[in-house]
Amino acid sequence: MVFNSYTFVVFFAVMLLLHNLPLSWKVKKINLLLASYIFYAAWNPPFILLLWLSTVVDFFVGRALYTQQNKVKRHALLVVSLIGNLGMLCFFKYGTFFLENFVALCNVLGFDYHPAQPSIILPAGISFYTFTTLCYTIDMYKRESKPVKSMLDFSLFVTFFPHLVAGPIVRPPQLVPQFETERKATKQQLLDGLLLLTLGIFMKVALADNMLAATADAVFGAHAPLGSLDAWAGVLAFSGQIFFDFAGYSTAAIGVALCLGFVLPQNFAYPYAAIGFSDFWRRWHITLSSWLRDYLYIPLGGNRKGHFRTYINLMITMLIGGLWHGANWTFVVWGGLHGLFLWIEKAMQDSRRKATNLSSDDAVVATASVIPGVKIKENFLKALLTFFLVCITWVFFRSATFGGAWVLLNAMFAPRPGTAPLLTSIAIVKVAVVITLMLVCHWTMRKTTVLKTAGKLPWWGVALAWSFMLVMIFLSQESSKSFIYFQF
Amino acid sequence: MKLNLPVKSLLLALALTVSAAVCWELFLRSKGLKPNFDDGPELWANSRAMVYQPSNKATVFIGSSRIKYDLDIPTWESATKTQAVQLAMVGSSPRALLTNLANDPEFKGRLVVDITEVLFFSQSPRLAISPMAGINYYTKRTPAQAASFAVDKYLEANLVMLNQDFYSLNGLLTHLYVPNRMGVYAGLDFPVGFGETAYSRQTAMSAAFLADTNRINKVRGIWGFVAKMDPTPPVTGKALDVILASVKQDVDKIKARGGDVVFLRTPSSGPFFMGESMGYPRAKYWDRLIVTTGCKGVFFKDYPALANLVCPEFSHLKPSDAVVYTNGMIAALKQQTDWKL
Repeated sequence: MVFNSYTFVVFFAVMLLLHNLPLSWKVKKINLLLASYIFYAAWNPPFILLLWLSTVVDFFVGRALYTQQNKVKRHALLVVSLIGNLGMLCFFKYGTFFLENFVALCNVLGFDYHPAQPSIILPAGISFYTFTTLCYTIDMYKRESKPVKSMLDFSLFVTFFPHLVAGPIVRPPQLVPQFETERKATKQQLLDGLLLLTLGIFMKVALADNMLAATADAVFGAHAPLGSLDAWAGVLAFSGQIFFDFAGYSTAAIGVALCLGFVLPQNFAYPYAAIGFSDFWRRWHITLSSWLRDYLYIPLGGNRKGHFRTYINLMITMLIGGLWHGANWTFVVWGGLHGLFLWIEKAMQDSRRKATNLSSDDAVVATASVIPGVKIKENFLKALLTFFLVCITWVFFRSATFGGAWVLLNAMFAPRPGTAPLLTSIAIVKVAVVITLMLVCHWTMRKTTVLKTAGKLPWWGVALAWSFMLVMIFLSQESSKSFIYFQF
Repeated sequence: MKLNLPVKSLLLALALTVSAAVCWELFLRSKGLKPNFDDGPELWANSRAMVYQPSNKATVFIGSSRIKYDLDIPTWESATKTQAVQLAMVGSSPRALLTNLANDPEFKGRLVVDITEVLFFSQSPRLAISPMAGINYYTKRTPAQAASFAVDKYLEANLVMLNQDFYSLNGLLTHLYVPNRMGVYAGLDFPVGFGETAYSRQTAMSAAFLADTNRINKVRGIWGFVAKMDPTPPVTGKALDVILASVKQDVDKIKARGGDVVFLRTPSSGPFFMGESMGYPRAKYWDRLIVTTGCKGVFFKDYPALANLVCPEFSHLKPSDAVVYTNGMIAALKQQTDWKL
């Protein structure tokens, strides 16, 4: 079930009603859990078995990991959990990819190997709930938090429908304590939640699907050589589409949870106003980047093992982060490019630090957070440069093949004369207006949040903006389109 | 520090939104417009699910746009007391739909295939895009999508503003007619009222469209543009043999399960029919199709009641003539087949 569907409107209304009935907290939690299973089963009912399997295995393995004193047994339990979670992810998400690459390798080595093509359906949100359960068992192994006492609370932690299929990726301490005591949205939470839900669906339906998706699809699916204007319009359209689609989902998810009285972590913080790539990853898909930092980069050694290992760890993290997004080498290259830009940025920071003798923290703060008045223009230009480079990386993210990415990059930077124009004037105007407004909005709001801004506006100003979004949603008529990040 | 949102913000937002929606709907209705359905994969999948009825209860129709206009479903259902399941898709070749039904072991019913030669005998993969989109949507339709459609159909049946082609944000922006760069293909822009689709997927021209010569001429101009846009000569020789063999294979599969297939040539007129007759001579295409497949066929020119029907824009019948055509087609089917209609 997607948030932008009539089914969800009915489902959510029923959930709000049930959650506000005078029932015991346990009954309400059971309602939430059953609703979450219905929410998930509405895509493909059989895949709910995977979710149950993952929940049951990790609940018991997690508890055993925490209580088990024998080191060998603890290692064995961790391996069981990792194999269970990552094995499922590898089979469903990367099975075909691994097989294709194995066949290609065999053919390169001269073996004529042609296996039957597997037909594996990717369960919605498997990457997200796998990371959610993985972080629980790893935390239990490291004894960083206590095991969840009840199966009901743990099931709800894994399955809670707002975050289940596309995040934000939650950690046990962020959500489990909220299930321990009765939760009901206050009037303020309900209003905030409804505003965020409206904003999220507006971003998805009116901006991503209605204004940008067709242009991005046309350019990335073009069969003929493109001109520079068309290529840039398509790439900019995708940069907006992917943001509005994913941030829209996260915003709606946070809003839905808030309407029920639960707080989910922030997932986006105006990423296109980022000054540099490390800042970008503090603002884009925050829960994934912090997951990768805490469960991959730091365990690899982080920056504790010298300069060389820091750079290697950074690149490994970004490459795996790229592969997490999809089973294709283009995603790996996308991650690799981000890793490369992080290298360059780190090298520049290191050399600057040497020159100015600043501490590491000072350098980060100086480049990303505190912006003295005189530096605003310089930082704005840096943010624009970051956005420009991020757009180039999106070419690999969106293209199905390297050939396609190369053709598009050529069209962007070295267009062939005499290419036939592709996009209509109105499509180009839509991209120009939406992307310009998006950049202005990101820059002006880079240090605040939507709710803080809304709270400072006059009440009728909020009403006008809210009404504008609602009108745009029903005018868009793009209901029920799936979110891009569901495929990840 | 975050300040609280007042409830009156939400109330005013809802009041403004409802007012805007009501005003917009009333404005569109004041222009004489009526609610109709978006003819997308959702509606097609809804009809596709109906093909499994016994053959004495329903007949399935596939084809291109003509059968969607020319088959008047209320007339068919009242005359035959059976359901007409309309699966034809505008601007497409029905061969992909035929193959889909042939490969579905559960489909054992009656099938009528409408032939528009330029589309049916084409090898262009472009003409299979919308049928494949419908088939993919149907095969991958989730319970949530089916449930959403159940709500959507009531809204679309009652609200004019839910016409996606003309009154959605994109539809409105597209119809601003901002001039394009030379050489940009902006798609075919059919005028409002040319194709209004019902829940049954029957399509009809509106009375306002039929009364407006400008709009009719605009559609005629679009056919002229389409004819020039694709200069590919009609398929002949081995390529035609391959198409016919593939159609026969599909037909045989359906017949082997107890089903039956009849081909139909719906009317076209004026220069359109003249061009079709020259490009796709009956003896080389229609007659070969009937002989190769061993199926019965109803060619409109063979029946006096149907032969002289005139299509306002040369390719599709107006609603009143669709009633005439449907009655004539039923009579022809009774005469040609053993179908108990």
